[in-house]
Amino acid sequence: MAEESILTDDFLRELMNVGEVDILIGVPTLNDAATVGQVVQSIRSGLLKYFPRQRSVIVNVDGGSRDSTQDIVRAASISDLAPGTNPSALRTLHCISTTHERSTENGTGLHTIVAAADLVRATICGVISPDSVSIEPEWIERLLRPVSRDNVDMVTPIYRRNKFDGLLVRNLVYPMTRALYCKQVREPHPADFAFSGRLASFFLEQDIWSQAVIQNGAETYFVISAITGGFRLTQSFLGSRPRVDHSSGDLVQALRQSVGVLFWALGKNFPTCPANSATETITATGADAEPSMEPVRVNRKRLYQMFVHGLEELNPVLNSILSASTLAELNQAAATGEDRFQYSDDLWVRTVYEFASAYHKEVISPDHIIQAMAPLYRGKTYTFLVENRDSSAGDVENNVENLCLTFERLKPYLLEIWNGRK
Amino acid sequence: MALPQDPLWYKDAIIYQVHVRTFYDSNGDGIGEFRGLAQKLDYLQELGITAIWLMPFFPSPLRDDGYDIADYRSVHSSYGTLDDFKLFLDAAHQRGIRVIIEMVLNHTSDQHPWFQESRSSRDNPRRDWYVWSETDTKYHGVRIIFTDTELSNWAWDPVSKEYYWHRFFSHQPDLNYDSPAVREEMWDVMKFWLNMGVDGFRLDAVPYLVEREGTSCENLPETHAVLKELRAKLDREFPGSMLLAEANQWPADLRPYFGNADEFHMAFHFPLMPRMFMGLKLEDRKPITEVLQQTPSIPDPCQWCLFLRNHDELTLEMVTDMERDYMYDEYAKDKSMRLNVGIRRRLAPLLDNDRRRIELMNGLLLSLPGTPIIYYGDEIGMGDNVNLGDRNGVRTPMQWDGGWNGGFSSADPESLYSPIMLNPVYGYQAVNVHSQKRFDHSLLSWMKRILRVRKSMPVFGRGSMEFLYPANHRVLAYVRELGKERILAVNNLSSSAQVVELDLQRYKGDILIEMFGKNIFPRVTDRPYLLTMGPYQFFWFRLRKI
Repeated sequence: MAEESILTDDFLRELMNVGEVDILIGVPTLNDAATVGQVVQSIRSGLLKYFPRQRSVIVNVDGGSRDSTQDIVRAASISDLAPGTNPSALRTLHCISTTHERSTENGTGLHTIVAAADLVRATICGVISPDSVSIEPEWIERLLRPVSRDNVDMVTPIYRRNKFDGLLVRNLVYPMTRALYCKQVREPHPADFAFSGRLASFFLEQDIWSQAVIQNGAETYFVISAITGGFRLTQSFLGSRPRVDHSSGDLVQALRQSVGVLFWALGKNFPTCPANSATETITATGADAEPSMEPVRVNRKRLYQMFVHGLEELNPVLNSILSASTLAELNQAAATGEDRFQYSDDLWVRTVYEFASAYHKEVISPDHIIQAMAPLYRGKTYTFLVENRDSSAGDVENNVENLCLTFERLKPYLLEIWNGRK
Repeated sequence: MALPQDPLWYKDAIIYQVHVRTFYDSNGDGIGEFRGLAQKLDYLQELGITAIWLMPFFPSPLRDDGYDIADYRSVHSSYGTLDDFKLFLDAAHQRGIRVIIEMVLNHTSDQHPWFQESRSSRDNPRRDWYVWSETDTKYHGVRIIFTDTELSNWAWDPVSKEYYWHRFFSHQPDLNYDSPAVREEMWDVMKFWLNMGVDGFRLDAVPYLVEREGTSCENLPETHAVLKELRAKLDREFPGSMLLAEANQWPADLRPYFGNADEFHMAFHFPLMPRMFMGLKLEDRKPITEVLQQTPSIPDPCQWCLFLRNHDELTLEMVTDMERDYMYDEYAKDKSMRLNVGIRRRLAPLLDNDRRRIELMNGLLLSLPGTPIIYYGDEIGMGDNVNLGDRNGVRTPMQWDGGWNGGFSSADPESLYSPIMLNPVYGYQAVNVHSQKRFDHSLLSWMKRILRVRKSMPVFGRGSMEFLYPANHRVLAYVRELGKERILAVNNLSSSAQVVELDLQRYKGDILIEMFGKNIFPRVTDRPYLLTMGPYQFFWFRLRKI
């Protein structure tokens, strides 16, 4: 294998056989045999139904699965080697798979996907998560069509979610991205998205791929750099996406993947949109859908306890991250007891901004900063759940909107502490 | 030169399709004739073809370019006389060129005396030679073939006040093959020409001979029975003669036309042709390999006939709706290029006059299993004229040189049977035999070379075929094998250079000899055989164990 190449010789040989394509869809996996077959079949159906004339390839980049993930993907190929697999297809559809040995993290997978897209000169690219088991062929059309038809550079999804699903996105990632970059992208850490060949080449040329933080959350960086690079964005309503249950250990990982990248990206591309400017709505295509209101079982008491214990245990660490006044307010709020506890939007936004600034100034290890955020986020989640326990979908949306406005209103505060005056 | 006596001669044949009126006008009346065609036999011999397929030359009102026959036992006066035909036939045979003529079994012209008698009264002895009905509702649901011109398969005859059945134009009434007299008469017609020395017949529109209520009236067992009866007589009385079926059908429906080697010797492979064009445009071998995978095996003495273009539109009846839409969009963007269910264009314009693609498609035609047919003028890259009606745009005069009427005729241009091509790309001054003969690298010279190579090894006509399926789907590769003879054909369907790895382990130790330059390529080993190929390039290798 050529030294320093992200592409193995075997994978390169497969890409040579694929040749130039119009559409490349990447599926990063790791032990996803239970779901990847269904996902790849839907992708295949979407390509055959909506893009029958385009030259397409499905590229699976696997982190070293020990199950049959890769075999399942390869078996979805349509070719004359397996006659009858889909006689109605005009073209061969290669479904190829490669293993990246450097890391089991997603960043290497996405790096491989954009490198492959660049090499085979795909003009329309997509990434689909193997967790997206509710995917329908129409998702492919909704994600890819804006790129192929409207010359859009990036298409991010809007899912129909449960009102208590996607809380990290609603309480932090979306409002903060929106406030800082002045673009209302509902899923700044998308699981399924599409982008143009131009943008793939742009991503590939970024000198970021060796960064540990990118290994965890390249998707978020893609969205941010598409915004800061002035590329055309749009959003597509996709439908329901199944809720993925996260254990407490996953929370830190989720924070790394989204918030960590968001903070890190601030250091690279501090937003230039004026602090008092209105945020821009990003066009969304497709049919919107109300959030589902099915009850979700959440142990709020445990959330609160984890917040209180975390705050207490991490007080010395938080002392180096947060301002004295913010930490004092947090301690004071925690002391009110579960029944009266409320993590206000104002206090939450100041907390987040101070974490971002601390991350930028590297007051302690950036990863420790992200880890320290976990208990505070649990506190905010507790408040969100309590406040919205009986809310309608519209009320939940209004509350998210109010939080966004708080992030926007306090943006000057971030500028102040970022520049070191606080 | 004596004709070889091999009864399977058609398997090695390279057939040249020509309409006598289009080829050469020797008497200056603006219409080609048999004397003119005979004068050009040296050209055809030099080109390397071994058989000529003549389109209908019988007396006819010419409302369907001769497929509306008014007398089966004579020659249209514009093309000469029966004696002229005999002279031409003998001259062809002397050059080792066989002659296949058209026989339109299904229908006659409405001007044919048989039909005139048949319609004259309901009591006429020839009344049942055609298919009559008091209503136009019989055989309901049978598809209409010429959808652009016909609304029904029935036409009203004001003379005998009944409807008559016609699968093609309304001026072409279908003969009634339920009548023993019709079957006997048509065999007599065939004997007439066989006795003169013709080598075979291309039987036109054979799926439609017999009609039955509640069926599609196509491919019926009764039709096969008629054809088998003709074949048995042919074998008994004229062994070594050949029957070629025109049946535009799916491979599975075509297979019965071979019977147990007791019906047709050859049949056109209609579904393959559009898929060759599709594969080229898609840069993907899938359409070609799939249709050949679906093609049933045929009895040993039988053979498929392959073609790229012919006198008709590029038929798209044997493709799916999605494939048809794709073909129209890619090959006939201008709607005037579309006719019925097909595309009325010649080979060179279809391929954007791209020499590399023209060579590749001819390379496929000549290396896939079957007997190839070259349509007149395609060997020099003639163009078409979509402004002429019907399919006349692909039937313009042969372009012999850059002089008066392209060397086709000394008549005034206005009196030519068809306008000659004049445009700067395909006109006779740009594309003609004379200028291409002068250069070794002209298309004509290249065609002569490839036909020579094709004829050098019987494996092309008679060998088995096995696809290799390299992972690169832009490359179509197959091995043809006959006894100890083996050739490998590798075709890059793509507009860009390609790398391909071929699994040739079965031929380990063989040396590859490139068949045009006779150059030696590396010996086959255990490892994949690596080839790099230019855009639209193809290789023919002979595999030799030395």
